Amino acid sequence: MADSPEAIKRHIKLYLLIGATLFACTLLTVAVAKFEFLDFGSRGFGTADMVIGLLIALFKATLVALIFMHLNHEKKMIYWFFGMGIVFGFFLIALTGLAFSDPIYFEGFFGR
Amino acid sequence: MSDNHDDHHDHHNPGFLQKYIFSTDHKTIGLQYGLTAMCFLLFGFYLMMVMRWSIAYPNEPLPQWMSWLFTEDWKAQWLNEGKLPGTTYNMLGAMHGTIMVFLGIVPLGFGAFGNYVTPLQIGAPDMAFPKLNMWSYWLYLTGGIMMCASFFMESGAAKSGWTNYPPLSFFNDAQYPHQFWTGQTQWLLGLVMLISSSLLGSVNFITTIINLRAKGMTWMRMPFLVWAMLVTAFLLLLSFPPLEVAGIMQLVDRLFGSSFFQPSGLYHQQIGLSDASGGGSPLLFQHLFWFLGHPEVYVLLLPAIACVAEIIPVNTRRPIWGYKSMVYGVLVLGFLSFIVWAHHMYMTGMGPAVSTFFQTTTTLISIPSVILLTCLLISLWGGSIRFTSPMLWACAFLPMFGIGGLTGLPLAFNLVDLHLHDTYYVIGHFHYVVAPGILFGIFAGIHHWYPKVTGRFMSRTLNHLHFWPSLILMNTLFFPMLIQGMAGFHRRWYNGGDAYLSTDPDSVNVFGKTVAEYLDLNIMMSWSAWLLCAAQIPFIINLFGSIKWGKKVESDNPWNACSLEWATPTPPGHGNFIEEPIAYRGSYEFARPEVEEDFYPQWKKPVGKSDTGSSQAD
Amino acid sequence: MEIPYIVEPRKDTGLNNSKIAIWLFLASEVMLFGGLFSGYVFLRVYADYPWPERTLPVLPGLINTFVLIGSSVTVVFAWVSLKLRQWRKFQIYMTITIVCAALFMVLKGIEYKAKFAHQAIRLDDYTVIEGHAHPQGAHADHTDHGDHGDHDGHAAHGAHGPKKNLNISAESVQINLRRVDDIYYEVLGAQYDDGGFVLADEVKLSGGAVLAKGAKISKALIEQAKDDFLDAVANNSELDIAANREAWVDVRAALPGKRYWEKDVKELLVKQISLRKAERKDQYRLPVPSLTFVPASGQAQISVDPYWGKLSNPKQGEKANLKLKDQTVIFGIAADSSIGLDVDGIDFRHTVMKAEEKGIDPTVAINNSWLLQHENMKAIWEKHKLITAKLEERIKDKGHKPTENDIYRINWQEIAGLQEKTIEELETMSHAEILALYPGDIEGFAGPNHSKIEFPSITVPREQVRFESVFSPRWNTYYATYFTITGLHGLHVIAGALVLAYYLFFGRKMYNENPEWLANRVEIGGLFWHFVDLVWIFLFPILYLM
Repeated sequence: MADSPEAIKRHIKLYLLIGATLFACTLLTVAVAKFEFLDFGSRGFGTADMVIGLLIALFKATLVALIFMHLNHEKKMIYWFFGMGIVFGFFLIALTGLAFSDPIYFEGFFGR
Repeated sequence: MSDNHDDHHDHHNPGFLQKYIFSTDHKTIGLQYGLTAMCFLLFGFYLMMVMRWSIAYPNEPLPQWMSWLFTEDWKAQWLNEGKLPGTTYNMLGAMHGTIMVFLGIVPLGFGAFGNYVTPLQIGAPDMAFPKLNMWSYWLYLTGGIMMCASFFMESGAAKSGWTNYPPLSFFNDAQYPHQFWTGQTQWLLGLVMLISSSLLGSVNFITTIINLRAKGMTWMRMPFLVWAMLVTAFLLLLSFPPLEVAGIMQLVDRLFGSSFFQPSGLYHQQIGLSDASGGGSPLLFQHLFWFLGHPEVYVLLLPAIACVAEIIPVNTRRPIWGYKSMVYGVLVLGFLSFIVWAHHMYMTGMGPAVSTFFQTTTTLISIPSVILLTCLLISLWGGSIRFTSPMLWACAFLPMFGIGGLTGLPLAFNLVDLHLHDTYYVIGHFHYVVAPGILFGIFAGIHHWYPKVTGRFMSRTLNHLHFWPSLILMNTLFFPMLIQGMAGFHRRWYNGGDAYLSTDPDSVNVFGKTVAEYLDLNIMMSWSAWLLCAAQIPFIINLFGSIKWGKKVESDNPWNACSLEWATPTPPGHGNFIEEPIAYRGSYEFARPEVEEDFYPQWKKPVGKSDTGSSQAD
Repeated sequence: MEIPYIVEPRKDTGLNNSKIAIWLFLASEVMLFGGLFSGYVFLRVYADYPWPERTLPVLPGLINTFVLIGSSVTVVFAWVSLKLRQWRKFQIYMTITIVCAALFMVLKGIEYKAKFAHQAIRLDDYTVIEGHAHPQGAHADHTDHGDHGDHDGHAAHGAHGPKKNLNISAESVQINLRRVDDIYYEVLGAQYDDGGFVLADEVKLSGGAVLAKGAKISKALIEQAKDDFLDAVANNSELDIAANREAWVDVRAALPGKRYWEKDVKELLVKQISLRKAERKDQYRLPVPSLTFVPASGQAQISVDPYWGKLSNPKQGEKANLKLKDQTVIFGIAADSSIGLDVDGIDFRHTVMKAEEKGIDPTVAINNSWLLQHENMKAIWEKHKLITAKLEERIKDKGHKPTENDIYRINWQEIAGLQEKTIEELETMSHAEILALYPGDIEGFAGPNHSKIEFPSITVPREQVRFESVFSPRWNTYYATYFTITGLHGLHVIAGALVLAYYLFFGRKMYNENPEWLANRVEIGGLFWHFVDLVWIFLFPILYLM
């Protein structure tokens, strides 16, 4: 059993380590956004900043979900639930995006 | 038989308030849901009758029997010499839709049947979280009352359709200093409450079904109703939050003046240039709305079809045909219903790629629907059918729902939809699904489980008086809509087409002449609607009268059914079962060779060695 | 039978009820925030105005991220302590968690407060200026504004008095009796009294009462007239309905089987209705739909918050009417409704965008803009052009170019930092030296600090204002998204903290009964807490850094 007192005692260090990683990653994201020498490709906010920012956030979120929320050793059913949320959330954004990106009118249709 | 069990079981004696009003018992909550929802249904029906008057007789004041509910001040403000002006028609129309969908059918199907029957069928003592269950009901009631109370506000109730599309909804009631106390805002607040209620309910349902199944109640032994409720709960759980988001965004738009859904340069004839920052997207609302909107259709449908699926095997005395395919069908249906929503939005200028995608998924989703219906139809084959009251309704459900479903297919195609969009054809289509379809399923369910709830049967004579007129009138009400729709009648004409009419024989106004040709159908439809209301009177008498005068049941299992709810005492006490039930086999084990009777209940201990206790999926 | 699996997991699923429920709830929360994020994405990608990127002060957001991550760690340790049956430690860790939650909300509150005090105006030529508005009338001569130095007094004064009201010298007020709202009593009652508004003409109410010419405006008077109006209308509507019904009976009898649209039916109906109405002639009452009041001295000042009404012509000294939301119309001459602003931000990006759409050279559009006709603003812009040039020079070797933001937007740091320097001084300095003059993150913790720094003033006449708002959801879709998402997130924080606090303060009984029960509940509460943290992990970069 993963949640026995012995196992938990072993995990204490891991929890601290993850906490430290999260702090470090946060600083890293801010550094990428703020410092000029970390401007990738172009000055200011650009695609690279967005991708890096989101990847770091995704990494942090994964750590929280896996370690703090115990998804690394959870029952199969929980993966189904959470997975469904993620999948349908993805559908919502992706298909709405598809609809937005494929308008039937041409640019300037409304006199713009 | 049942009484002594009851006494034995209710150790603690809760007071009246706790037992009937703030009850945490799933059965009481189910009944609360059912009765409240039926009241709302009647109210929604009434609004529709008023609307139908304006459609059939646009120049005539409302008759006395229709307008007695209004106060004089209300009539002075909202009627024009007793006739229905467009604004009032819009208000009634918006509220009719909202009430029927959110306050009527969903609570009746999911709230009432789900709450009452599901825990019984899986052999659970109650829902997993009884207190949440109670909260869910009270949130629903509060939300419903908030929405309906707005009729009496200075601004009147919401007026922009049950879809509440901005920017229309943004301008409605915008000219009131106290934005909070306007119909449109109250509608949104009510909606947020209803959504919260559904979320609590669906979490509760899924947990109950997953964790509280009785011993031996494996997945494939569960009655189809439980599966349907499980899928319904997932639909509510995952599709409602985006609408909640949309509702909250609209609330922020209204109360804090933001522009989530207001494009730049928005202009209104009376108000002028809107005092909003602009930059928002009205289409975004439609996407968020229909992301719920389409699964919502299945939220309405699945409980009803599930009731029918329970009733048909009992009354044909044979197992349901294709149980397994029905289960997988309903799962696929649930999944697909999340990715078809934009077929409601073909008119918003979607490009070919995205239209193709949604046309494909929409036609795909008809496959599982047809599987469900076909299985039910084939289940009748070779059965020894007993035409009991519930069976009557269930049998009528099949063709009626069939018409509703099949008339929907053309709408799945972009090209056809461009013509039919927002016409009475659409109205006819979904009313066929909801009224003679879903409502018939629900009537079937009421008749089927009534003996379990009260210990008495409902009257068959009154049922015939209810059933036959309803069946005929539903068709004379909704079928002409399909015809009118194809002729181009728009669904939001408050005067039924009077404004577009052309009666001059020399006129070149082709459309006006077409309108004239089909205008008389309005009268037939309206009279059908009013008579349909009269046809519900026997039902109401039956529903309440049978508690006292109905024929008593002779056993706990009056229909000789197989599923677990019939193993409880009648009516079931708090905690439902007297001893822990065990499911030895599937829930539709009719006409088994092992036993002498033609049914082999789930809870009955196996008799012979040959009995393997198999699931019905084999 | 009792409900099973409240604490112990069910064998085949391996889960207890609460665990299933919380994960289901989290799945729906994913959809909730998914919907919000989709709103953010599409509003941003398809925005038809320059998106305000990287516009929030990062420091409070960063601290909040640390606070929330910290609380996530402590909530894990609270659970660990329970599992190891260390009650005292549990209490400590849980207390830290809840203090973190409180700290988070306090910081959030500071941020919100700074935003709500910060005014923005989109001018008629789409120039955006930001700053703190001062009360109307207090800024008549903005050139000596810098002299009085009493900042606290100024701030205190700033808190009082309307800052952007619509003002009109009223010649008459017309009150719509159906729609007249409490707004009269709340907002305008005192002003009406001050102006000594009286009834313009004698009004004969339909009930027989007479309101004398010159009667003083009052709540009771208007209510009396309103009641009378509603009675009269209801009375007439009943008569109309009866007349219509009878007319239809007549028509049906005279022309059996004919439908309503047929010509003779229509004609007969019109005739019959007027006949039936004429029969009731003496029962009809003549409703008085509105009352008109005039000020005793011919003119009176009326001042209304822009939320309540709309000025038909904002140009000072011209004829105008002010239409309130309850359909009260105030006729008169537009008075000074200008907005005085201590400018801490200038943004020409929208001007440029619009100019490019129309094919106009952006430089020309900016030079011709209304704002740059003012000397103090012109000076800021000249300095900014110099700095942009220096920036371009400096990052040239890296192959980078200044962004639109760099070129067309002037931030508060720049305005504050360079106020004392002349353009000649600046020319001699390097870009890095100039940047060093800017106030740091601490000084502007939640945005420009108006109590420490004096910003240049400008008065914007109302006709130049295309749209104005404080930095609230109203200002643009970015702030709408920001407030809605962080607001909802904040509600989640509060709810989560309340649940965790419940276990901290009332968990002892559970712990004594069955420690595993409490551990289980704290795990569930913790899962929710981690999810709230997880959402913030995305919110921070998306809202603060992008």
